[in-house]
Amino acid sequence: MSRISRKLRKWTTDVLDVPQDIVFDLPRLTLIGNRQLYIENHRGVIHFSSEQLILAVTEGKLLVAGKELIIRAILPEEVFIEGIISDIQYEGKGNIG
Amino acid sequence: MKSRVIANLLGTVSITVRGKSVTSFINALAAERIVIWNVRAISEDRVQLNIMLGDFYRLRPILKKTSCRMHVEKRMGFPFVLKRIIRRKLFAVGIFLFFVILYIMSSLVWDIEVKGNVKLTTETVLKAAKEEGIYPFQWVFRLKEQDKLSRELTQKLPGSSWVGVSVHGTRITIQVVEATIPEQPPLLSPRHIIAKSDAVVTQIFAEQGRPVVQKNTRVKKGSILISGILGDEGNQKLVVAKGVVKGLVWHEYLIEVPTTQKYKSYTGEQKERGYLVLGNIAIQLTGYGKLSFDKYETVTNRDSLTWRNIKLPVGWMTEKVMEMQMTEDKVTDAEARAKGLEQARKDVIIKNGKDSRIVSEKILHEKKDNGKVYMKVLFEVEENISEELPLVHN
Repeated sequence: MSRISRKLRKWTTDVLDVPQDIVFDLPRLTLIGNRQLYIENHRGVIHFSSEQLILAVTEGKLLVAGKELIIRAILPEEVFIEGIISDIQYEGKGNIG
Repeated sequence: MKSRVIANLLGTVSITVRGKSVTSFINALAAERIVIWNVRAISEDRVQLNIMLGDFYRLRPILKKTSCRMHVEKRMGFPFVLKRIIRRKLFAVGIFLFFVILYIMSSLVWDIEVKGNVKLTTETVLKAAKEEGIYPFQWVFRLKEQDKLSRELTQKLPGSSWVGVSVHGTRITIQVVEATIPEQPPLLSPRHIIAKSDAVVTQIFAEQGRPVVQKNTRVKKGSILISGILGDEGNQKLVVAKGVVKGLVWHEYLIEVPTTQKYKSYTGEQKERGYLVLGNIAIQLTGYGKLSFDKYETVTNRDSLTWRNIKLPVGWMTEKVMEMQMTEDKVTDAEARAKGLEQARKDVIIKNGKDSRIVSEKILHEKKDNGKVYMKVLFEVEENISEELPLVHN
């Protein structure tokens, strides 16, 4: 994404008040307590163990830590994780704004 | 994720995947839109996951591409159950046979019930039903239609006005409604109607037979009133003569009425005696002492001890001694005569039937003697004078 187009998009979202995940392909997370996590707009699994799950997202990584993690379902754009989730961390490469 | 029921129906497989880049394998699956669920990491390079049976055969190229190996852990769902059943053929045959036998058994007639028959015996109904194809161990589907069956059974069973056939599973109910046949009149042999006594005919009505006499005819005892022979000498027929013939008959009555009449009455004085009964012996317990009156009647009442319809030989007897009084009433001659006549009239009616009627009465002779009134009365009574005389062939 070029610098100009990104700025244009930022401007549109500001003006039209549209959620940013639609415009920027940003991940949307739905967390239910510490048991279930629903992630849309991911870009693939980087690492998966029962203690940690690392997902690639647009311009960065999403680290989910916990115990007894299970991928309940996985689709090209969605992941549904179950387990005892203790930590969600976002590792961005650059400034998305 | 698809619903669990559908997944079970189509069959699912639980596999473990081993390799250096297990995550890339998962990514590839997601990219291919292969549905997987319950992905668990067992160790660094080992992952267990569930997959639909249909997608199982699409795994091979992906495994090759990502250089992973897999091992099937568990097979679940209907296709595998089916496979197991096919392997155990005899068992499957048994299940199949069970249903077949159940079906065959339930399409047989097991029981036939006959209802509502009183005069017709159950055996005759069952016999007629058997001729129509209703019998135990007959196929239900081979029975004719119910309305046809009921019509034919009604025809076959004389004395039935309707026969209903209903099938409830393996049981057939035959409901019989019997026809009410009018009572047969008793068979009578040919006869005449003759006069019971000397009389003058007042009314003759011949229901069957040839009336011989007319109204106001004087008839002798035994003469034919309604003849049972029809036709002339050459061409005759014997019938049962039937009819009503009434005539005037004279009855002479001798009446005697006492002029004094005695009545019995209780004065109200009474005494009770109690007895204990043992077998045939009665022991008086109460009511000792002399009676204060000389004319009396005793009423005894015996109570036996009973135990469940069995009479025990032990009981109690009470004796009521009641004082009695005789009273005499003098009656005048006129009263005595009226009373005597009244009794005689009643007697006439009783003797000659209810439909008889006293036409006239006449006192022929009257005398008083020894405290009694003697009378001779002639009653003229209209009564039924018909009597039957069987016709005997010689």
